[in-house]
Amino acid sequence: MKAIKILLVLSLFLSTGFNQKLSFAQNELSAVDIIAKSRLAFYYAGDDMRARVLMEIINKDGQKRLRELTMLRKNYEEGGNQKYFMYFHKPVDVKDTTFMVYKYPDKDDDRWLFIPAINLVKQIAANDKYSSFVGSDFTYEDVSGRKPEEDSHTLLRKEKLGEKSCFVIESIPEEPSEYIKRISWIDETNFLPLKEEFYDKQNELYRKFEAQELKDINGILTITKRVMKNIKTGHHTKVTLQEVEYNLGMEDNMFSERYLRRPPLEWIR
Amino acid sequence: MLRKLTEIVTRFPKSTIAIFLIITIFFAMQFPKMKIDTDPENMLEQTQADRVFYDKVKKEFGINDLLVVGIVDEEVIFNSDTLARIARITDEILRIKGVIIEDVVSLHTSDNVTSEGGTLVVKRFMENIPQDRAQIEKLKKDLYANPFYVDKIISKDGKAASIYIPIEKKDQSFRISKEIEKILKTELAPNQKYYIAGLPIAEDTFGHEMFVQMGITAPMAGFFIMLLLFLIFRKPIALIPPMLDAMLSVIWTMGLLIGMGFTVHIMSSMIPIFLMPIALLDDIHILSGFFDRYPAIKDKRKALIATMKDLYRPMFFTSITSAVGFGSLALAPIPPVRVFGLFVAFGIMAAWLFTNTIVPAIIMLMDSKKLDAFLEKRQGRISFADKMLKALGNFSFNKAKIILVASVLLLLTGVIGIYQIRINDNPVKWFKPTHKIRIADDVMNKFFGGTYMAYLMIEGDKEDTIKRPEVMSYIDGLQNHLESLKIVGKTSSVADIVKRINYVLHDEDKAFDVVPQSQSEIGQYLFLFSMTGDPDDLDNFLDYNSQKANIWVQMKGGENIQMRDVEKSTTDFMRDNPVPKDITIRWSGLTYINMIWQNLMVWGMLKAVLGSFWIVFFLMVIEFRSLRMGFISMLPLTIAIVSSYGFVGFAGKDYDMPIAVCSALALGMAIDFAIHYLQRFKAVYRELKDIEAANTFMAGEPYRAIMGNAIVISLGFLPLITSTLTPYVTVGTFFALLMVFSTLATLILLPAIMRLLGKSLFRGRI
Repeated sequence: MKAIKILLVLSLFLSTGFNQKLSFAQNELSAVDIIAKSRLAFYYAGDDMRARVLMEIINKDGQKRLRELTMLRKNYEEGGNQKYFMYFHKPVDVKDTTFMVYKYPDKDDDRWLFIPAINLVKQIAANDKYSSFVGSDFTYEDVSGRKPEEDSHTLLRKEKLGEKSCFVIESIPEEPSEYIKRISWIDETNFLPLKEEFYDKQNELYRKFEAQELKDINGILTITKRVMKNIKTGHHTKVTLQEVEYNLGMEDNMFSERYLRRPPLEWIR
Repeated sequence: MLRKLTEIVTRFPKSTIAIFLIITIFFAMQFPKMKIDTDPENMLEQTQADRVFYDKVKKEFGINDLLVVGIVDEEVIFNSDTLARIARITDEILRIKGVIIEDVVSLHTSDNVTSEGGTLVVKRFMENIPQDRAQIEKLKKDLYANPFYVDKIISKDGKAASIYIPIEKKDQSFRISKEIEKILKTELAPNQKYYIAGLPIAEDTFGHEMFVQMGITAPMAGFFIMLLLFLIFRKPIALIPPMLDAMLSVIWTMGLLIGMGFTVHIMSSMIPIFLMPIALLDDIHILSGFFDRYPAIKDKRKALIATMKDLYRPMFFTSITSAVGFGSLALAPIPPVRVFGLFVAFGIMAAWLFTNTIVPAIIMLMDSKKLDAFLEKRQGRISFADKMLKALGNFSFNKAKIILVASVLLLLTGVIGIYQIRINDNPVKWFKPTHKIRIADDVMNKFFGGTYMAYLMIEGDKEDTIKRPEVMSYIDGLQNHLESLKIVGKTSSVADIVKRINYVLHDEDKAFDVVPQSQSEIGQYLFLFSMTGDPDDLDNFLDYNSQKANIWVQMKGGENIQMRDVEKSTTDFMRDNPVPKDITIRWSGLTYINMIWQNLMVWGMLKAVLGSFWIVFFLMVIEFRSLRMGFISMLPLTIAIVSSYGFVGFAGKDYDMPIAVCSALALGMAIDFAIHYLQRFKAVYRELKDIEAANTFMAGEPYRAIMGNAIVISLGFLPLITSTLTPYVTVGTFFALLMVFSTLATLILLPAIMRLLGKSLFRGRI
């Protein structure tokens, strides 16, 4: 038995090449575990979080649209419900627009938008799998995450991305989706996704996510610059997070219709 | 000089032929580089203002080439089974490489924005297939309550649905349409019909038909001409020199065209068909003269030199006038027409070179014994045709005055007819009505908002201009006006989107189905819209800075007249309703572009024809060294052209591209008959010194040669009638008509004029 195991390991070792070191300790993590840990590290860091988000939406000719907003996020349980509150500073004609999302991992989000020009709060129901997040190349799902059970995951290999050792995981959606395959490069040490590639129904790479800058904020490693590029249209969106703060002790009642109309000034600044 | 050439080639016939064949191989080697161009935009110069603007509009608004699939079920589309088929078809189409997934518009992929219980709901019309009656009714209600999609993805009567499929590159359209067709064939039920329309398909099919045209119709025409030549000369060997002449000039011309990097366009694909009959016209005169002289001289070389001596001038002038006629097309502002004219002119001059070299060389190589035997048999045989020609000669000579009066009347009638001419064209109608493309086009225009696209571009002077309420309202007003026109099926713009959001935000209250009256409202509604779909959903209608907007105008017909009416009506609207400050409005789109080049062409052609008319007249004055003779030589063709175009006017046939092109061609060809007639007449009169005797002589061999030419040239184009593309058919018929008219005008009018004016014309010149 043991001899067979050694043989198996040896052949695996030979076939995968010598430069790839096999760490048995980490290999015990399954692909699903890695994805689950990654989701927590990326979407659920801290109890709550505040950031000033700068978004540059750029078309293939290099023309830009800018969005600037303050985002508040509160987590209710690890990997569970979340609430988001967004206040738009720019563009000028949408200033004072606010947007609130209740994220439920098991069903579609609840979203509300306050439209200052007509002083109206409107609830919005839209598919978060493909609808664009405020006109950017990110979908709602890209911004708020996707449940690991929605895909079947396979650990393809481990490889270095720059200096960082990564798990390379292939995720195939269980239900028909906008993409048929997603490949993620997940940092072995902190589980943050450094790169993701999405393949469309023609099995062609069409979207690519890249983490471009990471910062340690009060002990929490945070992706502060990221870009999502549509390979086929040349359209891309750069997102920069500024003034990131964690664990500010946000109250639950801040995420309410009342605050949509009258945003809490001390929070949005 | 030409005499020297004749002496050389008749001395070294084999070397002459060898040299020309070697050069021909070089031209033939260019053929594999052939590139087909079917893009209608290329009718305009790359730098033409409207074309540059259209390219800009396409780029700025992300307008891709579009295939449109129509699915028709005469029962109704709304049942679970059919809807499921449509969903499957759509899913499979998305999987075809080259299809732009995000931009496919259909029941299964497009989002609807509605209000349900106070919530703004954005979802696909048909994410899942409706299973029961209630769900089907819901889908129906959703669709018909959203004007943006009615007549676009679903027909008003519910019998047809469509899928709009933008593709990345135009050159993939053939493969993609084949794959789509395969999907449709497997997925649809037998009673359901499908249609594939869209410009890329039309262009591809057109390119294919052009190959067919060049590969089948042209050789067919060649064979047909051979048959005609055989009937004229009744000797197979006589066919070799003209056929070789025709083939070589086609190879040289097409080889040069391809070698110089020009693409083969609808016009240039007609070059072989045009060149073949024209190239061998002079050869008929050589053969005819040679066969007449040889029995007396009994020496091939001497007979040839004697024959050629009389023909140098008329052959040169007929060639140069034809070349000028075609060459005049170089003045047309349409690049493909220009290329066509110049290269046919080149081909004609090449053919003239062959006539002076290869043709005598081949005759030198003919077997003397067989030639003797054949010509003996031929002598002394007076055919029925000869009798007819004789009668014709007598008729026109004796009825001179009546003929002149009739000619003047015919000319006047022609002028009246020309005033009836309606200038119009529609490239889709370049396909015959029974063609798959035409049928698809008809069906799609019956069920949906129209397949002919034009764009009305609204441009402001700075960012966010379009968000100004008065600008947005003006766009809405323009659309209302356009949609009141019968030919306009549907319009779409950013104003529709803003109105829809306004309406839905206010719980679908009809009072809010209007453009909001504050800029921040418009800005915020557009922002809201951008949160619901893809980041580029708005791109087709609004540019990145909201400085320019684009109104899509779908028309049910693509004729130039229809586009002109829409344009005029819009101008009237803009005059009655002042345009907001700092806004410019300009038309674009393919239907508009087609109208532009059509206009350019009509005037360009007119200029070209008038220009070449003067050049040919000038050449005639030089040729005959007489102003009056020059004038007389122009008369038959003037009458022929004017009455033919008058006929077009009376018959109600639209004056389109092929008809326009024929005018320049007819001019250069029709003059040939007059040149040959007058040259021969002059020479004979010099000999016989009697008008009537000269006329009698003319009704013999010279008439035969002229008639031979006329038959070859008018019947030689007839095979074009079998073509599946209407421009070829039109050219074939109309050109035949023109040639018959000008032959008759020459052979009837000129003898009449000779009788009345001959003596004074030639007085002191003999």
